[in-house]
Amino acid sequence: MSLELSVQGQRGSFRLQVEATLKPQGVTVLFGPSGAGKSSLLRMVAGLDHCDGVISFADQTWLSADVELAPWQRPIGMLFQQPTLFRHLTVQGNLDYVARRRQSPAGQQAQVIEQTGIGPLLARRVEGLSGGESQRVALARALLGAPQLLLLDEPLSALDEAHKGELLDLIAMAARSVPVLYVTHNMDELLRLSDQVWLMERGRIIAQGPASQELSRLDGSLAQRADATALLAGLVADYAREDHLQGITVGDATLWLPVEQPLVAGESVRLRIAARDVSLCLSAPGDSSILNILPARVIGLREVGPGQCLVQLALAGQCILARISGRSARQLSLFPGADVYAQIKAVALV
Amino acid sequence: MLSEGDWLALGVSIQLALLTTVLLMALCTPLAWWLARRRLPGQALLEAVLALPLVLPPSVLGFYLLIGLGPSGPGGWVAEVFEQRSLAFTFTGLVIGSVLYSLPFVLQPLKNAFSAIDSQQLDMAAVAGARPRDRFFSLVLPQCREGYASAAILGFAHTLGEFGVVLMIGGSLSGETRVASVALYEHVEAGDYVSAHRLAAVLLGLSLLLLWGLFRWQRRRPNLGAMP
Repeated sequence: MSLELSVQGQRGSFRLQVEATLKPQGVTVLFGPSGAGKSSLLRMVAGLDHCDGVISFADQTWLSADVELAPWQRPIGMLFQQPTLFRHLTVQGNLDYVARRRQSPAGQQAQVIEQTGIGPLLARRVEGLSGGESQRVALARALLGAPQLLLLDEPLSALDEAHKGELLDLIAMAARSVPVLYVTHNMDELLRLSDQVWLMERGRIIAQGPASQELSRLDGSLAQRADATALLAGLVADYAREDHLQGITVGDATLWLPVEQPLVAGESVRLRIAARDVSLCLSAPGDSSILNILPARVIGLREVGPGQCLVQLALAGQCILARISGRSARQLSLFPGADVYAQIKAVALV
Repeated sequence: MLSEGDWLALGVSIQLALLTTVLLMALCTPLAWWLARRRLPGQALLEAVLALPLVLPPSVLGFYLLIGLGPSGPGGWVAEVFEQRSLAFTFTGLVIGSVLYSLPFVLQPLKNAFSAIDSQQLDMAAVAGARPRDRFFSLVLPQCREGYASAAILGFAHTLGEFGVVLMIGGSLSGETRVASVALYEHVEAGDYVSAHRLAAVLLGLSLLLLWGLFRWQRRRPNLGAMP
């Protein structure tokens, strides 16, 4: 059930031209600066805006030279930046609107209401809901009728910090059963959600691949950013109770991070390590306050900005980035293949 | 209280106003949608033409209709559709005149209501599975209830109050084209002030009642009102 896109269309001042294939599972984050054409592409996938080319999903053709399915004929659910609830209806009315037209299977509504926790809101008129409540209702509505693809257009942008986490959890949960194409220009959301990344600039997708790979690519635009960050997959290991430190194994290495409550051992987790939080030494420093000092091997180096150097490192079979000064890189005589120790000042769960 | 002739005239007025309102609602719904949601060349000129009855002396409109709908006028074919020689001095002619005369009073509230609809609501409805016709009935209509109510009441009340157009093209055939406002005029001309007072009071009361109802209803829904 993968989505195949090969579309072109004029969007104001630039031409949108996209060739891409969406993986059938998980969250694909469509990432890029404002005005890159992300929302336009999403609207074309939904059938809300016209474009030329071919769109196929699973064994169904949505768009071709002689076919153009309307939005109501495509098995999709969608969230906009604004909740866009039908303002003349109650919360329940909003759910029923979709359930009736999208032929929601019996019992699905109760399940979605339970998942999104909107039970207490059902009788309310939508004008009285808070931003967070509205977007939860909008998500519940998008999940009804068993969509086979969720299209989410910066759904967190109108929410305050407290409600963002709540909605992100719900989206991550929904993504376990339906593929999600998620538009954002926010790095935190990318790190939190993405399995795959499509990088978009000026109407084109300039790179696509697994998130961890795209984030740590030296020549990629994500690594050039000041907030460049690598993602590591790990497994929850021992908890050091007296120090309140949680061990996470990554390959044959163990990273420790402070947590208030121990995590469930054996569960897989994702760790984020910002490039600017990693420094390098040639020998293991025995007298450092830094908790996580791990052997790594230099894969590549690249100058980024004046006097700054980005180093790509292999660490326990995965990839991280270190952003160091150009002078340090020279003094350490770093070269691809060099063995170093990575001092990781901060590591966090996503 | 009212004479039989006056009741008849009032009946013609109400019949005319009802029919005109119904026709205008059907005609103005697509027209207002088109004007509110599309941008096309020549739109400003078209809107100016449609708004003319707001400023034009009704007698001017009536005069052109009288000429235009006559047997030798460019609109003479319209009469043939209704199997008549001329539409002047007929109820059908009155209806056509009233539709033109009251059009802006129905068009404007509908246009305002349609303009106020957020296009994302329509997009979301399409994604939610609603086809265009379904979207109109399940989303546009309920969100524009106030606009439709305003349009209906204003269209009805304004047609009830028309005089100049009727006088020009309707004449005053009892039970056919003599409406209440014309009957009142004839009472005054004949010096029958008692009948004139009675009929004037009825018309005043009826108009006030309609507008009062409209404003009361709009007050109860403060955010959604759409007066022209």
